[in-house]
Amino acid sequence: MRYLRLIRLFAEASAQNELAYQANFWISLLHSTLNTGTGVLGLVVLFGQIETVHGWDFPSTLALLGVYLTLSAVRGLFIGPSLDRLAGMDGEVWSGRFDFTLLRPVDGQFFASFRYWQPLALLDLAMGLGVLGLAIDRLGQGFSLAHLFTFGLAMAAALVILYAILLIFTALIFWSPGFLFTWVFDAFFQMARYPVGLYPGWLRLALTWIVPVGLMTTVPAQALTGGLSAWMLLGSLGLAACLLLGASALFRLGLRRYASASS
Amino acid sequence: MNPRGGWALIQSTWLSWLQYRSFFFLLAFMWMIPPLIYLLVWSTAAGGQTVGGLSRGEFVAYYLTLILVNQLTYAQTNWTVGDLIREGRMNTLLLRPLAPLYDTLASELAGKIVYMIFIIPAVALLALLLKPEWHATWGTGLLFVPTLLLAWALRFFWGYWLALLAFWSTRADGLLALQDALIFLLAGMVAPVALLPGPMQSAAILLPFRYMIGFPVEVLTGQLSAGELWLGFAAQVVWLLVALTLSAAVWRGGIRRYAAIGG
Repeated sequence: MRYLRLIRLFAEASAQNELAYQANFWISLLHSTLNTGTGVLGLVVLFGQIETVHGWDFPSTLALLGVYLTLSAVRGLFIGPSLDRLAGMDGEVWSGRFDFTLLRPVDGQFFASFRYWQPLALLDLAMGLGVLGLAIDRLGQGFSLAHLFTFGLAMAAALVILYAILLIFTALIFWSPGFLFTWVFDAFFQMARYPVGLYPGWLRLALTWIVPVGLMTTVPAQALTGGLSAWMLLGSLGLAACLLLGASALFRLGLRRYASASS
Repeated sequence: MNPRGGWALIQSTWLSWLQYRSFFFLLAFMWMIPPLIYLLVWSTAAGGQTVGGLSRGEFVAYYLTLILVNQLTYAQTNWTVGDLIREGRMNTLLLRPLAPLYDTLASELAGKIVYMIFIIPAVALLALLLKPEWHATWGTGLLFVPTLLLAWALRFFWGYWLALLAFWSTRADGLLALQDALIFLLAGMVAPVALLPGPMQSAAILLPFRYMIGFPVEVLTGQLSAGELWLGFAAQVVWLLVALTLSAAVWRGGIRRYAAIGG
């Protein structure tokens, strides 16, 4: 309960901070529209030339794009901005300001993950959900409660996987301060815009097992198209749990390594 | 005009950029990813056959060239010019006996060299892995050089006049984001221009964006007839003149308005 109350306070404080700059609203709206528009038009161009690739047609790939946009919106809402304060450009570990963060009477990992919110990311979230809705309509096979349930589970697993991987990439900063690990992750994450089936075999394996970004979007999209096996769903839930435990352990290990920057 | 001072500035900028090479290598890596994604998606889509008249190997050749051309023509300084104006750092540059354009060009050239140190080996490695089908001859190679130079100049000055709008509005970088989205869709990034659906293709041929990236790539991969080639050449020159005129006009108007914020 205390943690929920803290999250509300963090969100409120950051919202007051961010919403002071009102022109940012229009710029963010422009950015989210461009991001969504280029994504959808990119698919229109691709499927203007071909019908299906490896079983993926236009509606199912659109569903996958919706999943991708929704996931990146949640990332932009709090995971990204919070972790960036730690390990981003000019981050706290680099500058030594992390000392003051550590002194706060709250769990380090919790604080590092939830402390800063970007309310304008809700625009991205709305667009992502819009694309999902459009895709469900295009798929045209109805949408039952069971569908919704599996999709919800798959999305939850994907979110946990996303968070865990980001935490791992953030924790690496303790070993090599100054290198922007999360940017490397960004490069891989962009590949999740397309189904793993559209990549050559070696990359498909890497995106499923080494940096499981492909899994993050492919599994929820398959839950919508009905191509998801129970094993895949269980597997991705299991992977989410393992990654979360592993990432937390790594983060703690990193914290113990942190020896402050001279200041 | 002060070419000797300009050259000294270029040298010093280059040396200072080399100090941060791991950061710039990371940037180059990130800019390589979007074209790489489309390389993989289109070459998988082509499989053993052809899509829109291009085979798998031809897609690989097209996109590998595009990665190089995109990096060579990308004017990242356009993003920093706006910051210089907003934060008042333009003051120091204006006091020098040298047009601030030299400073921008110096960073531009320094960046190109640092990025090429990363991109050329990366593209060579990808070429070994993915086996492109080049149809380049000495003739197309010879034509490629002037089109590439024109493409760079066009992309640079087109972004430059947009960036200089920061003299009037602090959020002019929204326009740069719009330009990036249009480049993604129309410059041959999401698909070779010949594969775009009807209205998008006409827009691509009329607007300046294709002539910043896609056109030189098409020249080198030998996709164009002689007529298309001369027409594209003419379009490059005309759009470059437009961009130069706009840059000069916006610079002259802006510098009169400039009130040196901060400093």
